[in-house]
Amino acid sequence: MLSAAQLWQPFHEFVFMHRALLGGLVLACSTAPLGVFLILRRMSLIGDAVAHGILPGAALGFWFAGLSLPALTFGGLGAGLSMAGLAAWITRRTGLREDASLAAIYPISLASGVLILGIAGKRLDLLHLLFGSALAVDGPTLNGMLWVSGFSLIAMALIYKPLLLDTLDPLFLQTVSRLGALAHGVFLTLVVLNLVIGFQAIGALMVVGLMMLPAAASRFWSRRLPVLIAIAAMLGCLSVWLGLLLSFFHSLPSGPAIVLVAGGFYLLSVVFGPVHGLLRRPPLFTSQ
Amino acid sequence: MIRCQALRWGAPGQPLTPPVDFELSTGSLTAVIGANGSGKSSLLKVIAGLQKPLTGKIFHDVPHKGSLSFLPQQQHLDRQFPISLQELVAAGFWGSKQSPNLRNQRLKTALEDWCLSGLERRPLMALSGGELQRALLARMSLAQTPLLLLDEPHAALDELGKRCSGNTSTHGTPKAERWSSYAMTWPLFANTSHTHC
Repeated sequence: MLSAAQLWQPFHEFVFMHRALLGGLVLACSTAPLGVFLILRRMSLIGDAVAHGILPGAALGFWFAGLSLPALTFGGLGAGLSMAGLAAWITRRTGLREDASLAAIYPISLASGVLILGIAGKRLDLLHLLFGSALAVDGPTLNGMLWVSGFSLIAMALIYKPLLLDTLDPLFLQTVSRLGALAHGVFLTLVVLNLVIGFQAIGALMVVGLMMLPAAASRFWSRRLPVLIAIAAMLGCLSVWLGLLLSFFHSLPSGPAIVLVAGGFYLLSVVFGPVHGLLRRPPLFTSQ
Repeated sequence: MIRCQALRWGAPGQPLTPPVDFELSTGSLTAVIGANGSGKSSLLKVIAGLQKPLTGKIFHDVPHKGSLSFLPQQQHLDRQFPISLQELVAAGFWGSKQSPNLRNQRLKTALEDWCLSGLERRPLMALSGGELQRALLARMSLAQTPLLLLDEPHAALDELGKRCSGNTSTHGTPKAERWSSYAMTWPLFANTSHTHC
């Protein structure tokens, strides 16, 4: 059993744990509103698609520049954005459903990423790229995470209102303003940006878990959007903290530990959550 | 206010009408009547700029954005969306430069006019189809656009709801002053009974 001191001690004692915690916490905060809006926009799967889409870009970056943070970041950013953009463009132009167009794009990117890594000859550990290691967060990566999180929180605050209306009632927003498409574009960019910066810390696929699981869990706790976002951020932070402790004390890989803690919160919410949870009987009278 | 020239619309390759010319003048109320599938809703979407006409042109006197309100026919809203009725109605203030005080006042009046007082904090999930329709109409009344396009606005309304919509046009700020042009669709029931005979 963990004592109270053990809950903090690893983060005091080891710089790498300290960095992993800080990076994970800011990432959890900035991905929370993104995840909540992805679910509301019925785009929950785009995170997965983009995470795979990042791969060919990161592979190209690795091919040309080796294991360097800027090369991997910009490569991943370019590839992720063009994948998300291409899927959205095909949907807007042809009316192909968003999920179908994403499902078509992401095997293409995954396959081309693996192919490029194969051609490059050098062995970049694919497992590392997809599942990452939070304990490998170095100074520059942590800085990058702080910048990206700060930027995306500010940007989300700026596009909050048009994005909300574009999600709820795009026809209405279209008739009063042109901001809908812009908000959608900025939002997608933020999603890609967070996934790219996160994939180096906890892995491309694991960061999707950190984005979507707390957001899906929060839906069982409230019916108000700002509260949903706050709960998602809180659950995300708790998952990062507990997940890192688990991985530290039991020598487990950190990415999966964090995501599985988040998964545990999700399952608990499904069962016990007051809003449509399995064990909840609808109240006969409410205060409103 | 709006002039349509040789307008044809419908699914690609299947125009619903011969080329049509018509004009909606400022301050007018136009009803579009027709059987199911005759293209009433599509016409409104074409005028609203949400769907491209097959041929022909539409001339607007007014700038396109922010000058027309469109109330679509089906309840197209996600009822699980975590937002309250009041927040939905207040979206009608988009782009308005009024002071918060005046907005609150107008919001309150609009909610009263559409018989929505007391439902302000209800989530969308807990509203009936008619209540949601009235909320959308209230949102539209706040937007104060010069052109209104209503697709079967009375579809989900009961007698109370229809009386409410009567309220707004008789007292408060009269409709004619605020809304200068107004087009709505109406299903042609006579036609459907013909098919039964």
